[in-house]
Amino acid sequence: MKRNTLVLGITLFVLASLGWAGWANWEYRQQAAARRMAMAKMDQPQLMVASMSGAMSGMDMPSPLINKPAPSFSLQDLSGKEVSLSSYKGKALLINFWATWCGPCKLETPWLVELRNQYAPKGFEILGISAEGDDLAKNDTAGWAKDKAAIARFVQQEHMPYPVLINGDSISQAYGGLDAMPTSFFVDRKGVIVATQTGISSEADMAAKIQKALND
Amino acid sequence: MQTVFSMRKPYAIAAILCLAAVQGIAQIPLLDNPARSIDKAEPVQYLYPEQLTLQSGQSTPVTLHFRIAQGLHINSHTPKDQFLIPTSLTIPAGSGVKLDAADYPAGVDYALPAAPKTKLNVYTGDFAIQARLTAAPGDHLVQAKLHYQACDETQCMPPRTANVAMDVIAK
Repeated sequence: MKRNTLVLGITLFVLASLGWAGWANWEYRQQAAARRMAMAKMDQPQLMVASMSGAMSGMDMPSPLINKPAPSFSLQDLSGKEVSLSSYKGKALLINFWATWCGPCKLETPWLVELRNQYAPKGFEILGISAEGDDLAKNDTAGWAKDKAAIARFVQQEHMPYPVLINGDSISQAYGGLDAMPTSFFVDRKGVIVATQTGISSEADMAAKIQKALND
Repeated sequence: MQTVFSMRKPYAIAAILCLAAVQGIAQIPLLDNPARSIDKAEPVQYLYPEQLTLQSGQSTPVTLHFRIAQGLHINSHTPKDQFLIPTSLTIPAGSGVKLDAADYPAGVDYALPAAPKTKLNVYTGDFAIQARLTAAPGDHLVQAKLHYQACDETQCMPPRTANVAMDVIAK
């Protein structure tokens, strides 16, 4: 009799605990949902992008690559031809990392075309490096073909007269990570980076940096 | 033997119930799940709902709320340029929950300071997607995906995919 009472007591206690656990869990979920909704309905909170490896924090941030030799690379152009940085020795260069999905890149492209045509007779060239496909695996042939087709369409639409190289992401680490587009490096005739720019500025600003690279 | 078993049976039942209670209590989240805490490095965050109760097998409307970090914009679902990446929601196959349809908000026209005449169609601040979901019976931890591409006034980040985590209970 005593034993049965004990078992009954334990059973009732356990059932009560289960009930309480269920209620507490439900209550917690309700409160969490209410908190989240209240937070969302508040005025715009100070939800800032804290850091994008410095890339989005300002175009005037000095790059650690300034006054250093431009990291060497060899990439394919749209026809599959290998193009290396060393083959432009003696020329002032603008190495412009861009992507078809990047609105500011598209806006600055006509400036680049104009500047290239203006300064080419003085020994200046632009290397447009597409950073498309950073999310593609090396063996994703269909993905690469699709990206390449998009790049080719863009090049044709914008009448880009300078070499456009692909798979820029493979050299992004050497150029500081490239977390934002467009990113440009202005290289003098000796192969040293004399100016950099992240984000779009103005045609005049780019022209000044090209003149610095040409040492005019 | 029979007697011993019958004597111990109530204890066995009590022990099983105790284990069940411990398991039940262990389900109570004492602390906010750190996986759901705000990650300030993410340009777009899923806000709510984090739990949904649906009628299984029935297409049910659900409003999913998102927030874009201050100073950034993302392309709308219908950007004006063929090269721009539209914002889109998907649910991976095999989640137990199917995305029947997604109704995206209209974007707002926006121009970068460098080109005031060129209008983009973007989302900024908070936005919501009206989705219709159909769930199989049961409890599903769904990891839906929001694919987007964010920019500020002068530059763009590579395309990203945000996790849209939902606990979908289908009865």
